[in-house]
Amino acid sequence: MKRFLETGNFAIAEGAILAGCRFFAGYPITPATELAESMSLRLPQVGGVYLQAEDECAAMHLCIGASLGGMKAMTATSGPGFILYADPYGWALGCEMPLVVLNSGRVGPVSGITGAPGQGEFYNTRYPTQVGNFESVVLAPNSAQEAMGMVVEAFYLSERLRMPVTVLADQLITDGWEDISIPETEAEMKEMGLRVWPRKYNPGPDFYPATDALDIPPVQMGKNTGGLCSDWTPTEQGYDIEEVEDHHKHAYRLIFKVRNNRQLFNHHYEKKYMDDDPDLVVVSYGTPSRVVNTAVGRARSQGMKVGSLRLINLWPFPEEHFTRKTKYLAVELNWDGQLVREIQRTVPKDSEVHFLGICGDLPTNQDLLETFDRILKDQPLQRKGWEWEAW
Amino acid sequence: MELYASKLIEEYLRTRKIPSTACSGCGLGMNHKVVIQAFKELGLKTADVIWGTSIGCAGRQTFATFKGDGFAGTHGRAYAIARGLRIALPPEKKIVLSVGDGDAFGIGLMHLIHAARVNADITVIVHDNLGYQSTGGQFGFTTPMGVKTDSSPYGMFEHNLMSEGMDVMHILKGAGATFLARHVVLADGPRAVESVKKAILNRGFSLVHMPHPCVTNFAMKHLGSRVPVEIFRWFKERTAPLGQEKPNTIWATGIWHDASNSRAEFSEVVWGATEKIRRTGTL
Repeated sequence: MKRFLETGNFAIAEGAILAGCRFFAGYPITPATELAESMSLRLPQVGGVYLQAEDECAAMHLCIGASLGGMKAMTATSGPGFILYADPYGWALGCEMPLVVLNSGRVGPVSGITGAPGQGEFYNTRYPTQVGNFESVVLAPNSAQEAMGMVVEAFYLSERLRMPVTVLADQLITDGWEDISIPETEAEMKEMGLRVWPRKYNPGPDFYPATDALDIPPVQMGKNTGGLCSDWTPTEQGYDIEEVEDHHKHAYRLIFKVRNNRQLFNHHYEKKYMDDDPDLVVVSYGTPSRVVNTAVGRARSQGMKVGSLRLINLWPFPEEHFTRKTKYLAVELNWDGQLVREIQRTVPKDSEVHFLGICGDLPTNQDLLETFDRILKDQPLQRKGWEWEAW
Repeated sequence: MELYASKLIEEYLRTRKIPSTACSGCGLGMNHKVVIQAFKELGLKTADVIWGTSIGCAGRQTFATFKGDGFAGTHGRAYAIARGLRIALPPEKKIVLSVGDGDAFGIGLMHLIHAARVNADITVIVHDNLGYQSTGGQFGFTTPMGVKTDSSPYGMFEHNLMSEGMDVMHILKGAGATFLARHVVLADGPRAVESVKKAILNRGFSLVHMPHPCVTNFAMKHLGSRVPVEIFRWFKERTAPLGQEKPNTIWATGIWHDASNSRAEFSEVVWGATEKIRRTGTL
């Protein structure tokens, strides 16, 4: 085990290399630039290729090409670049190509504030591409150390589910400096719970049946299998048959290979003070969860019956945590409220769902404790100018 | 040339996809045959070639026709996919992209230029049907001046890549392409085969521009006729060998630029540098 005081971007690069990633293509964008820089330094040392693309769209297409040729590939960006992934993301989903994408959130909309954290990509990572008829996999770490592990896990999931997997971080995780432990041996990796799945290839047939089965390896070019890979409907008769029935079978697989295999994910959630059915469940993900965990601990010492639920697997949305009728508070790094909508959709009828949104900075313990107190006393949340809003 | 197309089809194509879904009278089939003929004459096996396509007539009609491995990329991005694939594949595998004019010179021009810049070993065959014909016939970036299409009902009047002394080949040459040729197959088929062979043999970025007639949409709108011979004649009149251009020539055919194997190839450069850094820690 090697220890570093380094950025999250550094940790993510090391995680990718541990997972077997030997191809990275990117386009400079704050706050994911240092990951590209780390990769340009580190990949050649381990026999891997770093390419700088002409734009994010090309970057992800380069990764698709490398993945299509059998390499484990990764790309990284922030919100304004993530939307340029829409085109290749859809292709990788439809063609079932394993890939890993890192999205480091900053303050939107558009270019917004580049060097500050934001969580405006909650829905964007669920629907990163055109048209629908697919399920997405999104993991959200809350520290540099966890981001490293999460990238290894993302590669594992992308191989077994043969699809692109997004790691949704934010500026504080990727740019922030933290104590990071990097495993050096397989035993150390195992000890840290890191799993690696090798790339395999499909020797044929060149279509997949309508199944939710795991571990059907992706098509690979250059193996002379007559493998075909396209964004059109794969069928037994060949591609490019515009039949709804055939396409339904294809889409079924894209949706249910994820939904029906959720036992595969080993990072579901983190729960604190949740064993005694708390009167208020505070839901968060990413860096705000670190403040939330502290604030919930303090609230408990003040006698407030509050619990913290941190989501790690954001998508598919873990609905099973929201079956109890109680009060919920979503704490997010945005002002429009995204996670809160999903909680509202999921909770039992007549549950109370509140929202605390702060963007570009983390909420303070004081903010959180005041909010908990008001919600528990059934007092209306005070509007503090533009800062927060009762949902 | 192989006189019996059936022999070529048997060897290189998936028979269930032949005849393709192209309209009758379409020039794409001639172009397709030229490419396959070049494979045959070079002695390439299906295992030696990765067949890449994109969207539109050229993509949809030629995808999955080739017996070997094939992919269809997103619209205009096959050049970026192919560059990634070039890194992952052994150098002896040939990547041949069968794409249209909208794909190469419209939506994908930037990616095409960057593939030329790095001199990636890819052979791009541009089946130019002078516009967006699979969506019903809108003008594209090689549509000649004055031509009426569904989206230029008064005639094409915008500056274009193949008008007023402009030629898309200049852009690609400037970007670093190492082999460039143009052929109109119905006028000079055998020379087209020779150019495609040279393009494939060039270890670097090659592009062969092959304009071909669209009978269904282009000819109907511009000439008011779906009789193939009308558009074939119209095409032939506007084609001349390089150096023998007439005032009405749009397509000057022949080898535009041959700097084959003069510049180090992309994956060679990248893997060379990577290997050196891995071994010595420096470049």
